[in-house]
Amino acid sequence: MTENRRLATVVFVVLLLILPFVFSKSPYLIHICVMAGLFAILALGLNFQLGSTNVVNFATAASYGIGAYTSALLSVHLHVSFWLGLVLSGTVASLFGLLLGIPCMKTKDYYLSLVTIAFGLIVYVLLINFSWTGGPNGIPNIPPPSLMGHSFREPIRLFGFNLPPQSNFFYLTFALVGGALFVAHRLHHSRVGLTWNAIREDEIAARCQGIDVTWYKILAFCIDAFFGGVTGTVYAHYIGFISPENFAFIVSVVVVTMVILGGMDNVFGVIVGAVFLTIIPEKLRAFEDFRLLMYGVIVVTMLMFRPQGLFPQKLRVYHK
Amino acid sequence: MTVLLATNELTILFGGLAAVNHVDFYINQSEVVGLIGPNGSGKTTFFNLLTGIYRPTMGEIRYHGENLVGLPAFKIAKRGIARTFQNNRLFLNLSVLDNVLIGMHSHQDSSWFDAIFRKGYVEKEFKTGVDKGVALLELFSQDLARECYKRAADLPQADRRKVEICRALASDPRLLLLDEPSAGMSPEETEELMEDIHRVREKMKEIGIVIIEHDMMVIREVAHRVVVLNYGRKIAEGTFDKISNNEEVLEAYLGREETHAEA
Repeated sequence: MTENRRLATVVFVVLLLILPFVFSKSPYLIHICVMAGLFAILALGLNFQLGSTNVVNFATAASYGIGAYTSALLSVHLHVSFWLGLVLSGTVASLFGLLLGIPCMKTKDYYLSLVTIAFGLIVYVLLINFSWTGGPNGIPNIPPPSLMGHSFREPIRLFGFNLPPQSNFFYLTFALVGGALFVAHRLHHSRVGLTWNAIREDEIAARCQGIDVTWYKILAFCIDAFFGGVTGTVYAHYIGFISPENFAFIVSVVVVTMVILGGMDNVFGVIVGAVFLTIIPEKLRAFEDFRLLMYGVIVVTMLMFRPQGLFPQKLRVYHK
Repeated sequence: MTVLLATNELTILFGGLAAVNHVDFYINQSEVVGLIGPNGSGKTTFFNLLTGIYRPTMGEIRYHGENLVGLPAFKIAKRGIARTFQNNRLFLNLSVLDNVLIGMHSHQDSSWFDAIFRKGYVEKEFKTGVDKGVALLELFSQDLARECYKRAADLPQADRRKVEICRALASDPRLLLLDEPSAGMSPEETEELMEDIHRVREKMKEIGIVIIEHDMMVIREVAHRVVVLNYGRKIAEGTFDKISNNEEVLEAYLGREETHAEA
């Protein structure tokens, strides 16, 4: 069983590594893969709250945006390197997650969601109105990362292949997805993951087991925001230009839909949900106007007929 | 005899209604106290006060010399007061073993940092927990221990009760509050429950148990002392035999005999 799983992982990683070679003539496909990877990280982050703890947070776009703007401003004005920016913006986003988490603890259920929606909107409006964030015009000319002298805006030349510049970000993104998966997996199989689940199942019973519900919920807020911040950083340096529109409320809705579709608290399912919901809108470009409708239909259908998602949570098994 | 927990004039008002009204109560180490009374007499509310779910309007809860009033529920649980619930509050979508493991939360200390970076530490913590959890389940039923990876929602009612008691015991409590453990059980299952309670007392000699029950068989069998509540007030206290002959208690349960019926 575990050996099969290891084999599957190896095959999957190899497939990912050769994918840019296969798509070397169509940068657009690689671009979609990068976006799918970025959304997978966002969804994995949200899963700590929505899936594990049942905190319905609609502020993913806010932490995503805070991360993007933090590292964009740092690199444009202070020439901070992308790699340092990655950690810094994650940390800043976490602090904002804490800031959001504290008032949220005074509320519950729908009201908590309303607070997170408000937070997302406030961040969005502030980004438009501040002059130092570039207002509605955003921040252009964000430098690409570079690694050992190789700029990520240059193509990769390898074994006679000429991989488009997007492949740099493809490898970076999937390395980060791997890291996010690792963290998600470790947290799930720990006292922290178990405690989150206890809170999701029955908050009062959880409190009577000695669980500090407030602290564990805020922890979920912070870790989610860190993931968001990191993702935003990659996005900003990948596209090279960000504006408030990239971090509007709809982005949060999309990520919530990904988790609900894929599977609450099932890491694999969440990724499937993210990939699926990144590819489908691209395929259905002609019906762009109906995108919001589609997310609504997916959420309502899932909640009515399969609330646990396509891939439900599995029970933990301990090896003696 | 050391007093484990004592309340002094404990009162809670819901609007104008005193659900628990000036109740003085105490329990000693290794004692089993039965808490009885008609429906709505404030028994469960009393438990909710002791465990910090509700905050009393007035009065004191002394536990090991400390006043528990105002402490949040999780801190009270950490101090060694564990409980079960009247209508069973298991973590239904988790396995039996996970339920028991969560009961050990107060004794474990691995943080999010340990979870991500110190795999060995977390594994060790889980291993200790799993061994202890399985041993606890075995104490109650071999079947439960064997099927510890079953989803709690898939268990029959009687087994759920057992798991809930195991979860409460997993925290090594000094005081255990059982809220109607025999509700919805068959006579055989109730019999088994009483054996279980005796077994727990054998294993954890110092533990104090407060048990709310409607089944007087259970109370007679396990309780050393009985406290009777009616309309939130304590109306009687003493051994089971003494209580069962107390006029006020009989009246609370059966109603007053109408002496002027013919008039």
